[in-house]
This record gives sequence, structure tokens and C-alpha cells, in this order.
Amino acid sequence: DFKKLRTSQNQFSDFEIIITKDPQNKQIQKIINCHKAILSCRCDYFQALFQSKMKEYQENKVYFNDISSNIMENIIDYLYTGNIPINSENAIELLISSKKFLLDDQLIQTLNQFIY
Amino acid sequence: MSRKMILRVPKFQEPKRMEKSEAQRLWLLLKDAIVEVQHMNASTLSFEELYRSSYSLVIAKRGDILYTGLEEVNNHHTKNLLDKIAQAVDERFLIELNSQWQQYKLQQIMIHDILMYLDRMYVKEPQLKVFDLGMFKWKQNVLIHSQINDRLVRMLLGLIHMERNGEVIDGALMKSLIQMYVDVSLKEKETYKQEFEERFLLATSHFYKSESNLFITNNSCGAYLKKVEIRLIEEEARIKQYLDESTGPKLIKACEDELIANHMQTMIEMETGCRTMIQNDRFNELKLMYRLFQRVENGLVHLKNEFAGYVRNEGHKIVNQPENLKDPNALITSLIEIRNRFEKTLSQSFANNRDFINSVNTAFESFLNENDKLSESLALFIDKKLRGGFKDSNDQEIDVIMNKVILLFRFLSDKDVFKKFYEHYLAKRLLSGRSFSEDLERTMISKFKQECGNQFTSKMEGMFTDMRLSKDALDGFKNYLQTSVEMGKLPKIDMSVRVLTQGFWPTFPPHSCTLPPLLSQYCDLFTKYYCHAHTGRRIIWQTNIGTAEVTFRLPKKTHVLALSTYQMLIMLLFNDAEKLSLKQMAAGTSISFMDIQRSVKPLYSGKYKVLKRTPAVEKSKELSENDIFELNLNLKCKLHRIKFAATSQTDSEPERQHTRQRVDEDRKIEIDAAIVRIMKSRKALIHNDLIVECTKQLSSRFVPQTSMIKKRIENLIEREYLERFPDDRRRYRYLA
Repeated sequence: DFKKLRTSQNQFSDFEIIITKDPQNKQIQKIINCHKAILSCRCDYFQALFQSKMKEYQENKVYFNDISSNIMENIIDYLYTGNIPINSENAIELLISSKKFLLDDQLIQTLNQFIY
Repeated sequence: MSRKMILRVPKFQEPKRMEKSEAQRLWLLLKDAIVEVQHMNASTLSFEELYRSSYSLVIAKRGDILYTGLEEVNNHHTKNLLDKIAQAVDERFLIELNSQWQQYKLQQIMIHDILMYLDRMYVKEPQLKVFDLGMFKWKQNVLIHSQINDRLVRMLLGLIHMERNGEVIDGALMKSLIQMYVDVSLKEKETYKQEFEERFLLATSHFYKSESNLFITNNSCGAYLKKVEIRLIEEEARIKQYLDESTGPKLIKACEDELIANHMQTMIEMETGCRTMIQNDRFNELKLMYRLFQRVENGLVHLKNEFAGYVRNEGHKIVNQPENLKDPNALITSLIEIRNRFEKTLSQSFANNRDFINSVNTAFESFLNENDKLSESLALFIDKKLRGGFKDSNDQEIDVIMNKVILLFRFLSDKDVFKKFYEHYLAKRLLSGRSFSEDLERTMISKFKQECGNQFTSKMEGMFTDMRLSKDALDGFKNYLQTSVEMGKLPKIDMSVRVLTQGFWPTFPPHSCTLPPLLSQYCDLFTKYYCHAHTGRRIIWQTNIGTAEVTFRLPKKTHVLALSTYQMLIMLLFNDAEKLSLKQMAAGTSISFMDIQRSVKPLYSGKYKVLKRTPAVEKSKELSENDIFELNLNLKCKLHRIKFAATSQTDSEPERQHTRQRVDEDRKIEIDAAIVRIMKSRKALIHNDLIVECTKQLSSRFVPQTSMIKKRIENLIEREYLERFPDDRRRYRYLA
């Protein structure tokens, strides 16, 4: 299943998500291996990213420096499995990132309800 | 939970209001990137960085900078492109335009991807979406620019014109350029429709108007039809190849209007047109015509009317042809022939269209009832067939002919007239033993039964029953004779009698005659026997339709003559006399003079002459009372048995009149019955309604004349079945 695919990191993965701490993307915090096919069909952001054929597409990796690795992992989990653990620790950050990545309205609504 | 929340919230509070300089920096970053994209150098840019910039601007409420900036950049870019494209000459123009367009479209997709957050979160109606904005700018600054639009449409239409004239053009290029009009349309393809489609359809109509006019004057209708079909197929292909599918119905309609609708009348009337095709059974051409006419409004109506008109005309000719009027057989045969022919046309060319079939049927109905002789002709035709005309046909062929007969029968409005004639001839066939096969007779009758119900055939079936019962009665009579005491006193003759139920059989005009004593004795015996077996019945002898065999002794040879009863009586007179005048014959047999004439004629003027007219005169001369006949003792004939037609096959005029009269009598009764039936259920009815209702009820059998119905109503009032309302003379009331 997809959860297995997600956890068995290197299995046919064709794309890397790299979390860094600085704007120059030097201090690598975490590398997440994943699959373009899954990301692009579950998330408009990734679809546009692959479709645009820019640097990320050429190099098969993307750097993020505005998000913590935990949150990113949560989101990737969600894209693979549809499940996401929401708690008071991560709720607001998740909401912000979900909005940025243009995730589905249902998730954003759930997060909103959780917070207010 | 709430405590922790409070601790963390400040860290993620909405970003501070972005400095204007920071916003400007992000915009410039994006602007540079967009320009790079527009120069097709996108591969080194970071998507995430650009996306994040646009995202940051939007959440910092600086989307306006981005949106207006984008508009400007696009504006600028498209204006540059315009110059570049407009400079291209001739064919290069289309190619340049197309390649720029293709690139531009890709760029706009990329820009849209980068600015996706702006597109989703910032852009609100009536602002255009990012991609649409790009399309709009292209339309505004390139496509509908005076340097481009007209030139482009003219070139596109020029190419299509060339293709219609048989040249090969670049379909992919056409598709891409025409699709461009669709792509830049914001809603419902309005740019495509306004700028391209309208002019294209106009050009199409124009092209086909002149082509069709020219082609149809120089070619046959068949060739034109083929041309039209090819053109329509080509246009269908054109739609698929490079037009927007929404144009399909409009384009085809325009073509159909020019190619078919506008020329329908011509195609029907022209020398090689519809008329000739029908005349010459050009099934394939007609089929094509049908297929094409079907596509336009009222097309089939034209074709149908033409066809029905032709059918009516042909039928009219056949029904009124002098030879056919004389020869019922030829008449019916040719009617069946044209029916077959038109059925073939219907099935092969007109897809057995219901409307067509109906109108052909109406045509048949109209010309078949043009002539009141048809009922009789049809009855005669069947008569001939059943007398042996079917001898050489197999079952299947017979069935086909019978079905055709039924078909023609169905069109007759005076079915009762036909019925009378049919019964008349059936009776004759049965009585003279000339029917070819009882099975076939029954098949024919069962077909009428299917068509018109029990009532129609009950009398006919009664005749068959009588025939069977007669045979039984006759067998019984023969047995009776053998045991009878009186038998010993009489010389033996072989007598056969048929007992016919009155009512089933057509009434034959009663003629009296004197039978020779021997025969009368037999007749009396039979009457005695039969009335003994069936009490309460009365026997009336009908001698005029009987037959007899008489031995004719010549000096050298003996012949057996098959004669009618009357002829027998006449011949028997010669046993006692050598010469007889017609007057004497009439006196000796008490047969009417007319019947004498008719009976004698075949005896002296046929192939074998047993009587001689003395003195010999020309055959054709009318007989008079005083003509004298004697036996022809020099008769030369190889046959032992000589058969003489009792009377001429076809009925004489008086007999026909008689049948007509009987039909009229029957109609009176039918009308009476119908009126009473209607009035009984309605109690009261206005005159006109009664007439209408009555006509409707009777139409399956015949079409009653209004005057006749009126007379019957009067008659019924007299007989106190009905009465008029005292206050309203037009209304009738039923009197129980």
C-alpha cells in the first residue's frame, strides 16, 4: 500500500525533498525521498512544479527553507495515505503549509476547526 | 491545550506588514523570471523560489503589485511579438505566427504554474485568471490587431478554398491557428465565432453556391448527387481535421442548404432528375437522392410528392388504357407489375420509409377507384387464375400472386361490389366444376377472411359446405334409386344434382323451361327423396346453370357432346325434327329467346359445328327468330368428346347490371343497419354527424354516397325507426 511505499524510502523513488534551515539552502536538515507520480496527482503545487520543467524538474529535487521537517513529513504522509496527525503542536504550522501547497479544502477546513 | 497554543501562536503570527521595498524586490525577482520564461530560458530558474515569492506577496497583501505587473509584462511582450510576426511575408507569416503562438501558450502555462498561489488566492472576478489574462493580451495585441486578424482570416480561408479545389494544405498548421481563435476566447468561443467562424461559413456558402450552380448545369443529376455526397464527406473530414467541433452542425447545414436545399426543385425537375430516375428504376441514384434529401428540411416531402405523383400517373394510365379496360387479366397483371416495381423502388431506394409507403398506397387507392370496373376486373382475374391459371405455378408463386391480389383488394373502396362479383364467379366455378383446386380456393378465401373478417367470407364458405353436402345427398339419392320400386320402370340416366342454400349463392335469374319427361321424373324423384330426408325444405330447380352430356350419332361416328342444359334441350328437339327455326326451338323448350340465341351460337359458329344454318349466311349476322337450323351430319372431328362453352365466359351486360343492382340493394340494407346501430347507441344525433359516423362505419366495405344515406334516413323515418326533433329538424331521435 501507499504507506508502505512512503516508509520504504528508496523504493523506486525518483524525487528528493530537501529541508534546509537557511535561505541559501546550505544546511541540510532532512532529505525525504518520494515519488513524482504520487505527489503530482495529489497536490497542485507539485503538479505545477513538475510541469514547469524548471530547475527542480531538471535536478529531481526541491529545497524548502520555510518549513520544518516534521511538518513536511506530515504533509507527505498525507499525500500518500490521506491521514494526518493533527495536534496542538503542529496544527497552525500545518494550516499555513497546507495553504501554501494548495492542499484540499477539506483538510484546511479540518485544521481551521481544530484551531478555533 | 490552550496554554500551549498561546505559547506557540506569537511565533506564527501573520507576518508583519511587508516593507514596500521588500515587495518591490520580490516583484522584480518574479519579473525577471517571467522575462526569462518569455525568452524560453526557464530551465535554470527555481520553481520553489518563484512560487514562494508570489506566495509571500499574496499573503502580504501585495498581490496587486504582482497582478498589475504581470499585465504590463504581458502587454509589453505581446506588442513586441506583434511587430515580429507582422514583418513575416507570405507563407512565413502563418508559420511565424504559429510558432510564436505555440511558444506563447507554453510560456503562459509556466507563468500560470509559478503564479498559481496568486491565481487561486488573489484573483477574483471580474479579474481574469492568470492564464486567461495571457490569452487576452495575445488576443488584444496580436490576434485581433488590424495587421494580423484580417490577413490571417483571409489566408486561412484562402487555404481552405485551395483545399476544396483539390490542393493539399498543411492540416496541422490550420488546426493550430484555428484553435488559437478558440483558445483566446474567454467564454463560449466568442472570438472564434466572431472573428473566424462567421466569415468561414459565409465563404463556404459562397463557394458552394457558385460551384453547385455551375456543376448542376453541366452535369447529370446523378453525377451532381455523387458530387454532393463527396463534398459532404469532405466537409465532415474538415471538421475533424482542423475546425472546432462546434462549427460542425453549422458548416454541414450551410453546405446542405447550398448543395441540396437550393437545388431540390431542379434535381426533381431536370431532365436527368428525379422523374427520370423513377421512370428508369435508377435505384442507386434514387437512394442517394433520398439520403441527401433526408438531410434538409422538407426534403423528403418533395421527393415523396414527386414519387407519389408518378405512381398516381402511371396507375392512371394503366387503369384507363383501352386495351386494359377490355381485358381484366391484362389490367390486373399490369397493376401487380407496377405494384412490384414500386415496392422495389420503395425498398431499394427509399428505405421503406413509412411516409413514402403511405403516399404510394394513397396513390393506389385513388387510381384504383377511379374506375368502377376494377372490382369486377379483380374478381375476373382471380377467376381466371383459379380456373387453371395457377397450373404452372408452384405454391410459393401462387402465394405471392394471391397476396398481391389481396393488396390491390385492400385499396378498393367498394369492397362489397368486389365481393358480389367474386361470389358470382366462385359460384360459377363450383357449379361448372371448373375450379382448378379446392385447396387454392380455400386459401384465397382464408386470405379474404384475414383481411375483412368472418362476415365477408361466410357466404363463400357456405358455398363450399353446400358442395360437400350435395355430394352426400347425391350418394344417398343413388342408393335410394337402387332400392326404389319406381326405379325398374325408368331407363337409367346418370343425374347429378346440387343442393344450394339460398342466400349463400348469388341468385340466378329464374328461367323456366320444359324438361323432357324422363328428366322431370328424375327431378320429382329427387325432390321426393330430399324432402323426405330433410323435412321442411323446399326445392327450386335452377335448370339454367346445369350441364349435360348427350350422345350424338352420326352416320359414321359417335360423339359425346358436353352441353349446357339448354343446349341439351335444343339438341333433343332434333330427335323429332330435321329442321327447326329458332322460334320453334323456343316454343319446344319454353326457353326465352335470348337464352336460345346464346345457347345456339356456340353450336353452329364454334370450332366444331353440330348445327348448320340454312340457308347458310355469314356467321356474323345477327340471329333472328326465323333462322332455320339443321343438324350438321358431315361434322368432322377427331375428338370423341366435344365440349361447348355454355355461354360466353364473361358475363353479358344485363347480368353485370344485375350484379350491380344487387350490390345496391345490399348497400341499402347495410346503410340501414349502420344507421340503426349508430342511433341505438347515441339516441339522438345531428344530421351531419350521423352521415359522418355512418360513412366511417361502412368505409371498410364501400364508400356510401351521401344522397343514398339521406334516402335511407328518410326511409327509416317513414318506417318509424327514427323521428326528427320537432324543434330542431336537423336532429334525429331513435325510436325504440
